[in-house]
Amino acid sequence: MRCIAWLWSLTEKKGKARFVTALVISAVTSVLLLVNPTLSAKLVDDVIVAQNPEPLLGLLAVMLAVKLCREGMRYAMIIMLEKTSQENVLKLRCRLFERLQYQDTRYFDRNRTGELMTRMSGDLDWCRHFMSYMSYAIVDCVCIFLSTLICFFFTSWRLTLFLVMVTPLLLLITNLYSRQARPLFVFMREKLSEMNAGAQENIAGNRVVKAFARESFEEEKFEKRSAAFRDSQLNINKKWLSFFPFIEILAHAMTILTVFLGGYLIIKGQLTPGQLTIFSQLTWALANPMRQLGNLINDFQRFQTSAHKVMELYCSRPAIQDRATAKEHPAMKGKVEFRHVDAAFDRTEVLHDVTFTAEAGSTLAIMGPTGSGKTTLINLLARCYDVTGGTVLVDDDDVRDWKLQQLRGGLGVATQDVFLFSDTVDGNIAFGHQELTEDEVRECARIAAADDFIEGLSEKYDTIIGERGTGLSGGQKQRIALARALAMHPSILIMDDTTSALDSETEHYIQQQLLHLPFQCTKIIIGQRISAVKDADQILVLENGRITEQGTHEELLKNHGYYWQTYALQNDLPMEGAAS
Amino acid sequence: MARNKFDVDETLESPFQWKHLKRAFQYISRHRFQMLGALGLSVLASICTLYTPKIMSKVLDEVVPAGDVQTLVRWALIYCGLIVVSIVFTVIRARVMAYVSQEIIFDIRRDLFHHLQELPFSYYDSRPAGKILVRVINYVNSVSDILSNGIINSILEIINVAVIIVFMYSVDATLATVVVSGLPVFIAIVCILKPRQRKAWQQQSNKNSNYNAYLAESIDGVKVSQLFARQEVNCSIMKRLALACRDAWMKAMYVSNAVWLSSECLTQIVFSLLYIAGVYWLGGGKMVSFGVILAMASYVSRFWQPITNLANIYNSFVNNIAYLERIFETMDEPVEVKDVPGAEPLKALDGEVTFENVEFGYEEGQTVLENLNLHVRAGERIALVGPTGAGKSTVINLLCRFYNLRGGRILLHCADGTTQDIAGATLHSLRSQLGIMLQDSFLFAGTIMDNIRYGRLDATDEEVMAAAKAVRAHEFISQMPQQYATPVNERGGGLSQGQRQLIAFARTLLSDPRILILDEATSSIDTQTERLLQQGIETLLQGRTSFIVAHRLSTIKSCDRILYIGNKGILESGSHDELMAKKGYYYELYTAQTQAA
Repeated sequence: MRCIAWLWSLTEKKGKARFVTALVISAVTSVLLLVNPTLSAKLVDDVIVAQNPEPLLGLLAVMLAVKLCREGMRYAMIIMLEKTSQENVLKLRCRLFERLQYQDTRYFDRNRTGELMTRMSGDLDWCRHFMSYMSYAIVDCVCIFLSTLICFFFTSWRLTLFLVMVTPLLLLITNLYSRQARPLFVFMREKLSEMNAGAQENIAGNRVVKAFARESFEEEKFEKRSAAFRDSQLNINKKWLSFFPFIEILAHAMTILTVFLGGYLIIKGQLTPGQLTIFSQLTWALANPMRQLGNLINDFQRFQTSAHKVMELYCSRPAIQDRATAKEHPAMKGKVEFRHVDAAFDRTEVLHDVTFTAEAGSTLAIMGPTGSGKTTLINLLARCYDVTGGTVLVDDDDVRDWKLQQLRGGLGVATQDVFLFSDTVDGNIAFGHQELTEDEVRECARIAAADDFIEGLSEKYDTIIGERGTGLSGGQKQRIALARALAMHPSILIMDDTTSALDSETEHYIQQQLLHLPFQCTKIIIGQRISAVKDADQILVLENGRITEQGTHEELLKNHGYYWQTYALQNDLPMEGAAS
Repeated sequence: MARNKFDVDETLESPFQWKHLKRAFQYISRHRFQMLGALGLSVLASICTLYTPKIMSKVLDEVVPAGDVQTLVRWALIYCGLIVVSIVFTVIRARVMAYVSQEIIFDIRRDLFHHLQELPFSYYDSRPAGKILVRVINYVNSVSDILSNGIINSILEIINVAVIIVFMYSVDATLATVVVSGLPVFIAIVCILKPRQRKAWQQQSNKNSNYNAYLAESIDGVKVSQLFARQEVNCSIMKRLALACRDAWMKAMYVSNAVWLSSECLTQIVFSLLYIAGVYWLGGGKMVSFGVILAMASYVSRFWQPITNLANIYNSFVNNIAYLERIFETMDEPVEVKDVPGAEPLKALDGEVTFENVEFGYEEGQTVLENLNLHVRAGERIALVGPTGAGKSTVINLLCRFYNLRGGRILLHCADGTTQDIAGATLHSLRSQLGIMLQDSFLFAGTIMDNIRYGRLDATDEEVMAAAKAVRAHEFISQMPQQYATPVNERGGGLSQGQRQLIAFARTLLSDPRILILDEATSSIDTQTERLLQQGIETLLQGRTSFIVAHRLSTIKSCDRILYIGNKGILESGSHDELMAKKGYYYELYTAQTQAA
């Protein structure tokens, strides 16, 4: 019931009015259903039995009018409900998408793409189904059932009481079924999501699958998931079929009671044959809603399971969002400072007591072994995660006191794992800065040494590149990612191992270009190659989450530490005990 | 390559044809016995319930007036018995059909997935992943009911209609014709609506697919969007896509609902016509008999109810055909790289490789490699260098036969002295003898252990760890709280890019290949780890042929032969010293790098 209240609260005023009107129409038209059979009986009596054609045309006209009216109203009702539910789905799609867009990184570490996709497609569709179909089906059932019962009650309260006695039994059974079926529906939804996630992952990783010739292994894996989903559905079906006979019997019990108990009552003289005719002609109006009820309960269970998942996403709040104290800053200058910063994921320490300052406009380079926390540093600066101790400051202000949009708007990050979107090259470069002119995009590409190869593509800047930049080489992707970061005209330019897949000539070219950027910015360069970091104003060496060396190229060479060892290795200098 | 974007509708290449239905029937016909059985059970169940009105009228007309309580009870019991029997039949049918419908989607899904596994990179490269996913999951789910219960129900309804027609004509042919006369009108209406309906549903499935594509991409790329503070723009794009979905849906609704509306209205019109004909026209001034007109009036609804039901089934059929077409379209997608007829499994390789006049381009009119000749001795270590995008990765893609050659051939030498063209070998035997370390280190959801074991499924835990040790991944793995049982996912979880590369490296080494291919494999790994890793795999490289794409001179220098790829072929070839002496492209590259350092 919580889900219904939630859906209702989402609906706009106009939508609510439309929804209620539609349900009223549904109630009216379901009662109207009883009119024509009555008129039909009158037709038989007055025209056929009386052999009098006079009232015929009038009656037929009324019946046709009633029918057209009813069906026209039904059509309008369905369209109204569809409209309302579509408005809600539209709203939900946009809002849920917004939630996802602002959700913090941890949320995405926890939830797989396939699961989130299930929520945004299949689960949402069940919410739509509830509003557009189940709502009026329920109203129909209840109205027909009640109006018939009332009609019966005034005909013979005694027989009606017997019929009413069936109702608690029905409620009991459906209640029992709902309770037993709920976990099965939750289970089935889980299996669906697993299958979805499996397929999604297979499509995303198709290169690896092919490289290892694991097609049949993948098929087996998928088939297992697909079979689990199938079995979970069959399980529900089995459970349903074990209850179905009882509901069906109760529906028939209406007829049986009417005819046989009614017959008995006639024999006992407590009912007239005419009264019984009315009963027997309308038993369907009691039995059909009961049968419908079974289907509706199944649909409702499915809806509930899905709605809970959608609600969970709808109500989720990112752990990282603007603080109440966050304030608008003047243009970012680009000073970065880390003060005794600690960071941990899942109780594993990643950074420990990291302290450094990079003045606005300077170049900071970070080097260190794999997994030493270099990228984490960037993630903290961009507030993808929050520190567990210490402070990260930009322009002498805690990043948590910045508005996220402004903070990130001031950064230009060329990420290590290059994710490009299925869009044109132009669209990808202007990703963070939509209003960029064609020339500006080209200028960014030129600085990133990407202009040449882009000009070589079939449609140049209008070439659509695949998701994740498929079809481009690692170096090409990195250069587009760099151009994308430059296009932000950031105050802090971050290059996370951006030139690792480039040949040294291109790397050298880019380094030269970065010296003469058309805008002022602080540069943070993460790199493995001495050539990429040596010209920095300050070089940090990060090992196991701690800064072990700090200084300029010359200073660090004198240290004879990690930096010097790397230098020696890369230049093939003789060195004793370096690679131990 | 024409690529599809999230906001571009996919045009359906093959128009609707009967062959789609025929194909659907192949899936159905596997279960024809169950379906026939279910059909039989349905008929039996309706025969049982057919008798119940008879009993009711007998009770009301005869038993009750006679006041015979005993007979009343007896009939009540018979009635109950019939109901129970019909319920039993119905339950069995429902169970059988649930099974059949689940099996049908299971089969379709399996075949679709199987085909997806065979499709080349270019298929995946040319469209958003979300559009592929939506076919495997949502579309297949949608068509299940129509292909199972939809078919049985429509057969039942057709039987119903046929029986009623016979009944009607046996009562009064002229009046029956009046009742049936509405049918051509209805069919005409359906025919007029059909193209609109079809178009509307196709449109709807297109918009839905676009929505899903953008959704999938946005979830995968959410970090980039956040770093670039792009959320607002993305939300407005999403709004545009969701609006398109809503509009397409509403359009489909307006048309689709017109079908039942017209059948309901026609029923009433036919009913009126029947009475008018009966009363004014037929009897020549006299009315048709009481019994006849009553019977016919009851047949009107019993004739038109199944017609309305059929219209509804038809409705969902038209709607689902739009999905079915997409599914079959995907299954018809040509598999460019596949085992040729008579392909033989590759025998054990000795590692010798020959490229003969190889020519290749990814797109028509574009040539990446031309007339490339190369002979690699067994156990030789080859470095591929050259400008980015010159075709280093292409050479490797061709060796793995990720693409078919446009011209020339690639020969592999087997341990028994014979040579085999890779074009004539089975893909599985080829790729399982190659160890390919790709640029992107994609990991699957699962533990680190699972991911390394992907290289060789039957490897023991010890073998997995040995591989991890060889590539120096063991150190960081054993520092993690759950060690090898640490869960990872495709987006990375807590692993750094370099660590992911190390895991991918262990995965490749575990597969114990004859030919090892490293495509910029160590770019994100720091120099010292790389050096350690090099030492660790040095022994593994012994006796294996290897192709290494790298930018680091230290890696390149240790190779036996360096190939400088450029200008659609090999520009220079030789050892480091030879090429340095030549003072050509490689020399320039080398000096640029050392100068820069």
